[in-house]
Amino acid sequence: MSQQNQILPHGRVLRYAFAERLNHWLAAFSYIYLLLTGLAFWSPWCFWIAAVLGGGQVSRMLHPWIGLAFFVAVMRMYSLWAPQMHTTEADKKWWRSLNHYIQNEDDKMPPAGRYNAGQKALFWSFFYGAIVLLLTGIVLWFPESIPWNLRWLRYIAVFLHPVAALMTIANFMIHIYMSVFAERGAFGSVIRGDVSLEFAKRHHPGWYEEIVGGSSSAPRK
Amino acid sequence: MSQATLRMQKISGHAGSVAGEDTQRQYTVAKLVDTTTCIGCKACEVACVEWNDMPFSPTTFDNTYQTMPETRWNYWNLITFNEHEKEDGSLMWLMRKNQCMHCAEPGCLAACPSDGAIVQYTNGIVDFQQDKCIGCGYCISGCPFNIPKFNKETKRVYKCTLCTDRVSEGLEPACIKACPTGCLHFGSKEDMLVLAEQRSKQLKDNYNFPNAGVYDPKGVGGTGVIYVLHDATQPELYGALPSNPTIPLMVKLWKGPLKWLGNVAMVGGLIGLFVHYLRFGPKDRDDAPREGGQP
Amino acid sequence: MTNGWVDIKNTDLMLIMGGNPAENHPCGFKWAIEAKRTRNAKMIVVDPRFTRTASVADKFAQIRAGSDIAFLGGMIRYAIEKDRIAKDYVVNYTNAGFIVSNDFKLPEDEGVFSGFDEKAQTYDRSSWNYAGAAAVQNKPGAPVVLPLMPEKTEFDATLQNPRCVFQLMKQHYSRYTPEMVEKVTGIPQAKFLELAELFTSIREKGDMKKVATIIYAVGWTHHSFGTQIIRTAAMLQLLMGNVGRAGGGVNALRGHSNIQGATDMAGVFDTLPGYLKVPNPADGSFDGWMKRITPKPSKPGNWDSFNYYGNTPKFAVSMLKAFYGDAATKQNGWAYDYLPKVDRNYSWVQMWDNMYNGIVKGIFAFGMNGVAIGPDTKKNIEALKKADFLVVGEIYEDETSEFWKSPGIDAEEQKKIQTTVYRLPCAGFAEKDGTFTNSARWLQWKNTALPVPPGCKLDQDIVAQIFLKVRDLYKKEGGKFPDPILKLTWSYTNPGSPSLAEVLKEINGKTAADAEDPATKVQLKAGNQLPGFAWLKDDGTTACGNWIYCGSYTEAGNLTMRRDAGDPSGMGVHQNWGWSWPANRRVLYNRASCDLDGKPWDATRRQVWWSEATQKWVGNDVPDFKADSKPADHMGPFIMNAEGVGRLFAPLGAFADGPFPTFYEPIESPTDNLLHPKQTHNPIAKKFKSALDKYGTSQDGYDIVCTTYRLTEHYHYWTKNNPMNVQLVPEPFVEIPEEMARERGILGGDRVKVESARGEYIAKAMVTKRIKPMQINGKKTYQIGIPIHWGYRGIAEDEDKTAKTPANMLSPAVIDPNAFTPEFKGFLVKVTKV
Repeated sequence: MSQQNQILPHGRVLRYAFAERLNHWLAAFSYIYLLLTGLAFWSPWCFWIAAVLGGGQVSRMLHPWIGLAFFVAVMRMYSLWAPQMHTTEADKKWWRSLNHYIQNEDDKMPPAGRYNAGQKALFWSFFYGAIVLLLTGIVLWFPESIPWNLRWLRYIAVFLHPVAALMTIANFMIHIYMSVFAERGAFGSVIRGDVSLEFAKRHHPGWYEEIVGGSSSAPRK
Repeated sequence: MSQATLRMQKISGHAGSVAGEDTQRQYTVAKLVDTTTCIGCKACEVACVEWNDMPFSPTTFDNTYQTMPETRWNYWNLITFNEHEKEDGSLMWLMRKNQCMHCAEPGCLAACPSDGAIVQYTNGIVDFQQDKCIGCGYCISGCPFNIPKFNKETKRVYKCTLCTDRVSEGLEPACIKACPTGCLHFGSKEDMLVLAEQRSKQLKDNYNFPNAGVYDPKGVGGTGVIYVLHDATQPELYGALPSNPTIPLMVKLWKGPLKWLGNVAMVGGLIGLFVHYLRFGPKDRDDAPREGGQP
Repeated sequence: MTNGWVDIKNTDLMLIMGGNPAENHPCGFKWAIEAKRTRNAKMIVVDPRFTRTASVADKFAQIRAGSDIAFLGGMIRYAIEKDRIAKDYVVNYTNAGFIVSNDFKLPEDEGVFSGFDEKAQTYDRSSWNYAGAAAVQNKPGAPVVLPLMPEKTEFDATLQNPRCVFQLMKQHYSRYTPEMVEKVTGIPQAKFLELAELFTSIREKGDMKKVATIIYAVGWTHHSFGTQIIRTAAMLQLLMGNVGRAGGGVNALRGHSNIQGATDMAGVFDTLPGYLKVPNPADGSFDGWMKRITPKPSKPGNWDSFNYYGNTPKFAVSMLKAFYGDAATKQNGWAYDYLPKVDRNYSWVQMWDNMYNGIVKGIFAFGMNGVAIGPDTKKNIEALKKADFLVVGEIYEDETSEFWKSPGIDAEEQKKIQTTVYRLPCAGFAEKDGTFTNSARWLQWKNTALPVPPGCKLDQDIVAQIFLKVRDLYKKEGGKFPDPILKLTWSYTNPGSPSLAEVLKEINGKTAADAEDPATKVQLKAGNQLPGFAWLKDDGTTACGNWIYCGSYTEAGNLTMRRDAGDPSGMGVHQNWGWSWPANRRVLYNRASCDLDGKPWDATRRQVWWSEATQKWVGNDVPDFKADSKPADHMGPFIMNAEGVGRLFAPLGAFADGPFPTFYEPIESPTDNLLHPKQTHNPIAKKFKSALDKYGTSQDGYDIVCTTYRLTEHYHYWTKNNPMNVQLVPEPFVEIPEEMARERGILGGDRVKVESARGEYIAKAMVTKRIKPMQINGKKTYQIGIPIHWGYRGIAEDEDKTAKTPANMLSPAVIDPNAFTPEFKGFLVKVTKV
């Protein structure tokens, strides 16, 4: 954390180290592939996506392997970020003020830390989602190997896999919206790794306090 | 096969309408398996392997006359053998020709995501089109009879075709042709039901099987393979024939409510976020200092 | 079969015993199912196991293998006691009322009939005769000559005379009580009574409409008293009035497609084609032979008897003319001298015993896997080791042609085996044309489906070429007696490869002179094919290779090729499908389907009947009778018997071991003979005496009854080589009752060792509910079953997936005295977990 709290030249602050960014994009690209092929399997109206991506057979073949990559990425995220994702008292207040957040009345929000409660929810939804998706995915990967008297495993899997996927999709949509459209600078942070102090101050006041408080010198312009 | 004679009334994973939908042909075809006259000779098994030119695969002794525990991707027709001791101590050796039941409401087809990989012809035959099969195995989960079988080499799923190639040329399926005792019949579903009812009445009236009856489970909309059973109240005795088969609940939930809920949520979510942007815009206003990737 | 496959559909009731038609004859079994489906016919199955047939039966009883006569004797007793017999039929169509000689004695406690020589263990059968026969003085040392039957037999139409056949039979089977049946067969009394009640119910109150059939196969023949089991069934059917009727009869199911043809064409050493008895050295001349084998009528005074075998000389002369053509003349007794004279037993087991004892030096094995099919495999392999040569005509490498590879023979020993083996690759059945004669006596022509593979030859080509070579040698070198070879007719277009159509034509025969049938005025020209055996003459103007096949290939062509499925009567006669011997008749003795006046017992199943208008027997089938014999003449319907009637009592030489069947235990049995405490086994069943002929007893620990059989998934021993069949049944197994398996800690799939006094068999256990423990004479007795098929050559064998022991390692070499069939069923074993 201390390294990331370093204020860089030009008044920027490191938010995501290279390893974190790389991992994020591993997760992101694999997830997008999984989402697209998953949607193809989900609905006939989306099956054309499979065709675009090389056909149904290729999609069926790659989906589980990419799924494994996604799972690995999510687990790496866990090892990198889990300690920062524990719910705090501030988070509970944050949730209670959610309507202000939605209405962009950020000044009325309790100060969020490095991650606000919504981001933490995103993190945990992907973490647990990935586990459920992996377990059910393995069953769906080899349905022919499930003996007839354990067929309930298949039934659970066919149901829970899309349920878990839908849950991640909901969070994913918000995540994209927030990072690409709603919070300018967020997208860049996961590309280059740093954000401006203003960004920190605006979106993560708690974190900002930490940076400023923990630094001996004032931010340089 | 000829598209003119075998139009499809249901197509798996298909967006939009199906040409043959609701165009009921004059006849839905059906096989009648009279288990009370089956002698378990396996002629149907051999005929199936031969006609469909399927490769052999090794079997092992399993304390039974049954060729293998369940059907395989290359063995679509299997007679199950079950020893059943009745309450009076007398024995029954129940033999049942097991194969795809060709359900009117096929669970495999409902579960299949691949456009056209499973079709139901207007004559009722449910057929897998391996060229379109993506090998996901959802049909395996959708089937209440444990029929579709996966080939690990080709990564496709296979099952009885009800000899569509023969039937479309006006021939009976190979298994029917091979049956030496006449326990197998093939014809219109209507005729087969009449025959089956006659036989079960005969069994009740003359052969001391008060529970004799016809197996044509309504849970899957009736089947294209119907059985005459000595005891229709206990189909489980015949090698795990489910007494009330339906498309598994979870598959139904998945393909029904969950699908609608999910679609609504996803589309609703997209719209919601868009509307949110219109209404509230980004968190950074133009009047606030610009920040971000590009200075 | 007295009837036919299709005819089974006409029945009301089937007793299936000693056979498992659903397993071994599934295609023919369709007609049994048809009877159930269309007539509500009932099916009784009695078998040592709950079989595939039992699975579709209405009643099943598990019987101890080999106790069938006790069961059937009990049925006879029950039918008589309950008066459920066909009275008019029994009095008029059987010998029930014939008076039997006072010298004849029933076995009672002694267990042997009159005339038994205890020292020599043989029978003098002179006393097994009707009363009033002239005695014959046999000179000591000379071959025994049996007396003739009396020309006129004494007769009691009331069946009350204590010496009449009926009363003797009643007395004989009075011991076969339900209690006794239970103790001997293991079938509980209540079960037995249930079956007896159902079977005899067809003659309730003497009603003659219904018909029952008895269906059997090698489950009855594979015993040291097999012929007598079948006779008991025949007697029961005669008593019930079921013989000669549609849906009735005594029906042997033949195991292979052409076994019937093999026996018709002299497949057994003691017959010539058409079941003519072979000459023996004592006959001396053609006339002597004819005198011995041509019966004279024997009947109550005012009855008539057709005595069709009175025509034997016509059949024999025509046969010799077919064999030897111009070389057969009246002067040389129609070349009688050329025929081999059979001086002793040359049956299958005997021949292999002879080979084992060095008497037979070599063997030609065609169409059989000798090592695998014979009893006591070890002995047969030993026999082949001692032979000089072995010629095998086969389509696969089999246990016989590779006998030296049998388990237990190591490389050292292999080097010592000096037998020269010639392996001749033959054509398979689909690569040959010709006829199959099925169980229903139908000859059906088949065409070649596939070409003969390169390097293989048709069987007939091999035989023909060997013959031509041998003939050349005789021509060149002379030899002791060349005439039978040199003068043999061999007038085929291609002598080295006779066409089977030509052979069939020759078997049917032709006339050498113009002829006319006095009744119909039909004329034949010299050289014409004969239309039927009624045309055969004993003056040398007709030639016919097998009289019962006469009519199969006429001037109208090859009738065995006919394929008209039409059946105008709906009775399954199919008159124009193939051709059925004799004379295209589908049900034998069908005169018995009518009452004394010639009216069918059941008007809904009319086969033949007396037409007053034409004064002839007419019908849907070809009448098996003298066409113009008026009912008033009282000619017996069983025209092949000299008496004209069915034999409840089989007199004189008809059978070797008694005129009435009586119960004997199998050679290896777990109990004493309760019916004949002083005579456990068939006294004249032949046991062999070599060092390898060992017989076990329950005292030695062999206390489990074992039976052998085949599976529907297999064909003979061939299908070991076909991956399809190997997939269907991958490994050999032994069927074991659940209770026995539990006691011995055997689980399904465990390897078990089955041992008999002769050898051992290792296979996996199939633990089943389908065999139950039995109470035999108060003692719990287990029975197991072994499907035969596997050996040491085949796909699974070559992959080392089996123990490579043929099942017949276990079975004993002991043979029935009439048919010489080995006792493959009901021998003793012990079973241990490996």
